[in-house]
Amino acid sequence: MFKLSLDPQTVKQWKRFRSIKRGYYSAVILVFLLCLSFFAELFINSRALIVSYEGKWFFPTYGKVIPGTTFGLDYDSKTNYKELKKLFKEQKEGNWVLMPLVPYDPFETHDAPVDDVLYTYGAEPPSWETQHYLGTDTLGRDILARIAYGFRIAMSFSLVLLVCSYVAGIAVGCAMGYWGGAFDLLFQRLIEIWNTIPFLYVIMIVSVVVSANFWTLVFVMVIFGWTAMTWNMRTSTYKEKSREYVNAARALGASNVRVIGVHILPNTISVIVTFIPFSIAGGIAALTALDYLGFGLQPPTPSWGELLRSGMQRLDHWWIVTSVAVAIIIVLLMVTFIGEAIREAFDPKKFTYYE
Amino acid sequence: MKLFDRPLYGFVVIGLCWAILHGCSTPENESSEVEEFDVFIAEEDLLPDELPLNLSWYTNDIDPEFASPDAIRGGTFHTWILSYPLTMRTVGPDSNGSFANFLRPIQFGPIAFHPQTRRPIPMIATHWAFGEDERSIYFRIHPDAKWSDGERVTADDFVFTLRFMRSKEIIAPWYNNYYTERITDVKKYDELTYGVRGADVKPELEMFANFSFGPRPEHFHELTDSWVRDFNWKPEPTTGPYHVATMRDGKYVEFERTENWWANDLRYVRNRFNPEKIRFTVIRDEHTAWLHFLKGEIDSFGLTIPEFWHDKAEASPFKKGYIAKYWFYHNLPVQPSGLFLNTAKPLLDDVNVRYGLAHSMNIDRVIQTILRGDYERLDTFTRGYREYDNTSIEPREFDPKLAGEYFEKAGFTSKDRDGIRVKMDDEGNVIARLSFVITYGRPAHTPRLVILKQEAEKAGVELNLEMLDSAASFSKMQKKKHQIASLTWSAGGFAPSYWQHFHSANASAEDKTNNVTSTAIPEMDELIMKFRSASSLEERTGLAQTLEQMVHDHGAFIPTFKVPYTREAAWRWIQLPEWIGTETSGTLINSQANSYGFSNGGLFWIDEEEKKEIFALKRKGEEMEPLTIIDQTYRIVPVDNPEVQEGQ
Repeated sequence: MFKLSLDPQTVKQWKRFRSIKRGYYSAVILVFLLCLSFFAELFINSRALIVSYEGKWFFPTYGKVIPGTTFGLDYDSKTNYKELKKLFKEQKEGNWVLMPLVPYDPFETHDAPVDDVLYTYGAEPPSWETQHYLGTDTLGRDILARIAYGFRIAMSFSLVLLVCSYVAGIAVGCAMGYWGGAFDLLFQRLIEIWNTIPFLYVIMIVSVVVSANFWTLVFVMVIFGWTAMTWNMRTSTYKEKSREYVNAARALGASNVRVIGVHILPNTISVIVTFIPFSIAGGIAALTALDYLGFGLQPPTPSWGELLRSGMQRLDHWWIVTSVAVAIIIVLLMVTFIGEAIREAFDPKKFTYYE
Repeated sequence: MKLFDRPLYGFVVIGLCWAILHGCSTPENESSEVEEFDVFIAEEDLLPDELPLNLSWYTNDIDPEFASPDAIRGGTFHTWILSYPLTMRTVGPDSNGSFANFLRPIQFGPIAFHPQTRRPIPMIATHWAFGEDERSIYFRIHPDAKWSDGERVTADDFVFTLRFMRSKEIIAPWYNNYYTERITDVKKYDELTYGVRGADVKPELEMFANFSFGPRPEHFHELTDSWVRDFNWKPEPTTGPYHVATMRDGKYVEFERTENWWANDLRYVRNRFNPEKIRFTVIRDEHTAWLHFLKGEIDSFGLTIPEFWHDKAEASPFKKGYIAKYWFYHNLPVQPSGLFLNTAKPLLDDVNVRYGLAHSMNIDRVIQTILRGDYERLDTFTRGYREYDNTSIEPREFDPKLAGEYFEKAGFTSKDRDGIRVKMDDEGNVIARLSFVITYGRPAHTPRLVILKQEAEKAGVELNLEMLDSAASFSKMQKKKHQIASLTWSAGGFAPSYWQHFHSANASAEDKTNNVTSTAIPEMDELIMKFRSASSLEERTGLAQTLEQMVHDHGAFIPTFKVPYTREAAWRWIQLPEWIGTETSGTLINSQANSYGFSNGGLFWIDEEEKKEIFALKRKGEEMEPLTIIDQTYRIVPVDNPEVQEGQ
């Protein structure tokens, strides 16, 4: 039978992490929000959750676009479920539509004019009635929807960025520390040279010449960001390498890969883990900054930076900038709390304080 | 720089060429065309040694005056610029900054164009005549014409201009080239008579526009290797109403009216250029400038952008009536603004797809929402050239059903899971999808394109936006690497230009050219060449209208917006003629002699008494009746706009 046996050290660290309430609850909330955001379509969407039409049930959230003609409407493009809901209510024929909590997707612009009322110009303040709970941006798009989907993109971006740059950084850093000598020296110099390239400018130039998408941005940021981890990994590998257990493993004939993978890496994990939250915060901030400056993802991708910029241009529409600023502050604050808690949990010196 | 923003301004590169030429009163119609000429100037390109005897001399003293006889001379006009100019030269390095827009018009050309009749009117020249070769033009200089330093303007100054513009010392390759390849000779016949010969045969009106450059003071310039440095802060003497009088580095530049200006009483100049001084204060931020304006430290401000007109101009000086709002429709050549479909790309080579796309673009919705109903739908490629316009063309309206019919004709009969139309082969595999990339270079266009993208989905079309840096995007378009380009060309001159945009000579992807639709239609080529060489107005207008129809039928250009007006705010002491402006007044409260190719500037004046009164009212907190003037005299097709009707 498979038995999950955790290192007692890890159990202790986990317990310590749990005991730091601020960080622990931040982690719980953030993970919860992240999971939730991956199913955002179920909560924030212009597609209905369920449509009951002439006794048949439809679930339009995921899957093929259902043309309006399916529900007896006069157009064959995607159904406007908000209008369908109204229509069904008026008709009272037993058909019904169940909309998500926020019946808007992040791309929908101004509502079409109803009853000859003119289009709205620009942003609308938060309103319970229109179900724009945080108002709309200057194009009439729901801010809550854009923040939620923007959160999903920003988080995925920083996680992907994190994994890619850590894999590269850890591999090179370990190799440098483990082999040392000329190899180490050569890579140190290479990384120093590489680090002098002002990478923000490179990203700007790249995104100006080829229009940036999610993966090109990740690629460029990894190319210039992987070096950050190498120094820490190099030093901790150096340290671990000279320990007895490594020598013992080598004496027993373990291969280099085994020594690094099985013996050294697990013992440097605390270094890696403590850096993770700050890297995530850095990733979110970088993407937001790029979007804010207009060098990020192509419009109309929902993005916090873009919201921040349009909010800053129209400070009289206070709800735009307020919503997105609060969102950014909360998320970065939570990530920082988690980071602090992890650092404390992994810090052997602090152990006595928590006894 | 005043914020006479025309949000549809197109690509700076093209606009600049146009502006440069206009500065010297030589608006070049096809500014960016690439042609090769021998640098060597052949015998037949030179003017005859003696003035031809059979010349018929013309002048124009019968067109109406357009300045108000009520105008009062005096006062200082306060305006603002975003940054301090880098030089006072109008050629050479750094001379194309925005301040050149003010420096160039204070030099007069031999003739200018009447802002109403659009006919030539005398300025430095009193008379003109055309050579038999249809590419040379002769001028007689006004005997009183003087530089602002008191020296007389003579034919030598014009001969010198050619030498000056061709000289390597001014470090201006573009001018070097233009004045070598396009202007082949300038000759002095006597003190006050000279001739200009150009490289190509042109109709008379365009010959004016191309060959009537202003003079450069020969007595002032020393063409040495250090000319660029030596003359950087030495403003040239001028022939126009103002000269640069004061420069306070980083703070302001002040123009002063030339004392006993020689042209004070010229028929088309009197009662114009009324302020004694014009002060351009450097204010590095638009918002700050606006605050200065509300305090009365700046006299006028541009309000063309909807946000300014509707929201910002609700401030208290407006409500109290101290500041007036003007909304003035003019009738200038409209800048072709829209989506250019690259017909060399797959799918877009099918005319049904192009028509379908045109019917998938909900341009009205963009106008009605983010543009607040202020912009108008552009109907064709060229507009505002009066008799050249083909007014029978209607733009293709947003109609997903009709779009669907066209797409079905093109074989796009089914839709994929995202609701985008696809073309299937016999085995049911998708072979093509209606998904296109729109390339553009101006961040301000993003909101408009986002709405178009959203709406196009209703017709089963996917549009992806690709915003690049403006130079990078323009380069991509000129190399025809785009699918759909969203851009605005500058417009000007007296006739539309088709060669650069629609002739097959410019359709190759090898060269950077302006035929961004890759249009190459033999019949069209033939007509374009005919149009270029035709000299009778009737023939030319007929051809232009046929060509316009062909452009429409080809469907590679989807026209979007036009802004056929200027909107400005000015303190009430700024007075305008009863008729507010002229048909070609691109801006109202400007001090430049020429703008948009016509002699329309300097019509306003400052009422010092009124100024004192308004400041007194302000102190006491008393109010005046708010004033908003909406003038639609020159509006072409009045459409329903509740705001406009309300205002009247």
